[in-house]
Amino acid sequence: MQVLIKNCGVLRMLLVKDSFSSMFRSVALLWQNNTARLGEIDSRFGDGDHGVTIGKMAALILSRLDEWRDESIRSFIENLGSGFMEIGGGSAGPLYGTLVGGFAEALSGETEVDAATLKAMFAAGRDALFDITKARVGDKTMMDALIPAVEAAQQAENDVLSVLRASASAADQGVRDTENMVSKFGRARSYGDKTLGTPDVGAVSTALLFEGLSQGA
Amino acid sequence: MKMKKFINAQDSLTKELLEGFAAAHRDLVTLKPGNTVVNNKLSSANRVTIVTQGGAGHEPALSGFVGEGMLDVSVVGDIFAAPGPQACVDAIKLADRGRGVLYVVLNHAGDMLTGNLTMKQVAKEGLHVIKVVTQEDVANAPRENSDDRRGLVGAVPTYKIAGGAAAAGKSLEEVAAVAQRFADNMATLAVAVRGATHPSTGSMLADLNEDEMEVGMGQHGEGGGGRQPMKSADETAEIMLNALLADLSVKSGEKVMLILNGTGATTLMELFIVYRRCEQLLKAKNIEIAANHVGELLTVQEQAGFQMFLARMDDELLRYWNAPCNTPYMKKV
Repeated sequence: MQVLIKNCGVLRMLLVKDSFSSMFRSVALLWQNNTARLGEIDSRFGDGDHGVTIGKMAALILSRLDEWRDESIRSFIENLGSGFMEIGGGSAGPLYGTLVGGFAEALSGETEVDAATLKAMFAAGRDALFDITKARVGDKTMMDALIPAVEAAQQAENDVLSVLRASASAADQGVRDTENMVSKFGRARSYGDKTLGTPDVGAVSTALLFEGLSQGA
Repeated sequence: MKMKKFINAQDSLTKELLEGFAAAHRDLVTLKPGNTVVNNKLSSANRVTIVTQGGAGHEPALSGFVGEGMLDVSVVGDIFAAPGPQACVDAIKLADRGRGVLYVVLNHAGDMLTGNLTMKQVAKEGLHVIKVVTQEDVANAPRENSDDRRGLVGAVPTYKIAGGAAAAGKSLEEVAAVAQRFADNMATLAVAVRGATHPSTGSMLADLNEDEMEVGMGQHGEGGGGRQPMKSADETAEIMLNALLADLSVKSGEKVMLILNGTGATTLMELFIVYRRCEQLLKAKNIEIAANHVGELLTVQEQAGFQMFLARMDDELLRYWNAPCNTPYMKKV
């Protein structure tokens, strides 16, 4: 759901509270529908618990959405990030907590988010992760979906839907690229070449995040 | 193979093990909210205090070393999973007695992430904290890329050395420098002969054939690349010790600490047979074992095998290693 406003004769869409509500709900549902697949991929070279953790984060989104009353968009997203951070079950919580908490850093008290601000949110999420991990494109982590998604968003037209679609599609391509990579981080790293042919599970859940944001808008 | 473990519900494993641990050692430690284990004498500590974090499932590590002379607070995550940063920030605040906090983190992806987020937050709050990372697994990266080395049993003697320096009244910068010097001069190599099951998923952590051993096995069943036919105690001791000596470039006349850490299902009998050979080999090279430990410090469930740990020692490090401590699983008088 977006608000259409007329600005200098051009129709522009803005994301409002209801838009973000719908976007995060769509992320939660996508994550929930994919927990088994995430668990299966993770069990090949990881602990096998990524689906469980993502399922917990999806449930947290839904319960936070039910409680969302007067909070600003920034504060809702920021609190969601803090909630992810403490979800338990390994690295996924702190990683997604940092990413989503980073999104909020680009906001102040806005009630409407335009394309430029949305681009800034995505960039801020990526930069927050840059601060805490050395993983970059090619290391076979969530960054292989995230970095291209954020870059595609910056290149997209100044329209929120274009930004969301561009980022979702780039993240999806990023996942496919990880199939040709050897894991450089985390538990999967010790499996070396055996990880070829399997996508990175963190990249998969990150692409689902961008897909959900895009579908829900 | 079906998992055979005495557990109740898989999602309450960590809670129940910590409750039991704290009850069994209530004279020394207290369990606080956030799966945080606290030294009972923390409130009277007028010194640098020491905090660590890490997943459960490695008992007695890490919380088994909370007590006077070692750790002040240990923050426990789920089985083999790092705790979240907020719990660690809270633990550091709880531990801080005004002399600063040493924060020891083992090099594993999740722990490093939590460690970095925690450091960001404590810096924002103006707390005096120095982080030391233990990363000493020689199997998965050369010494030049020590950032890629996993943290194995070496965290435990690092707690002891840092605890000794803190008890001696050293400043945070001095305690951290001593801990870092020790950590920079240690190396571990693990061997596994039989994998373990992950207690919360029931999946095998590693799958080794009957006639195989794997040198370089990580402590969550991550492969190490050194699969080979099973060898005798003497042969295994020699392979592993030589790798550690080469990594540390230990020379004739030097003093070392040698730890043989059973990972869960290897008997003390076997560890002593391996130790015997290590001592013979070191003696022949004129290297003195000035400090040692043989037993289970950091386990990997029922994984059969052990971690061999070697560190170059000097008089100051030895003094801190030998200083008194009173924790559930390490005591020195």
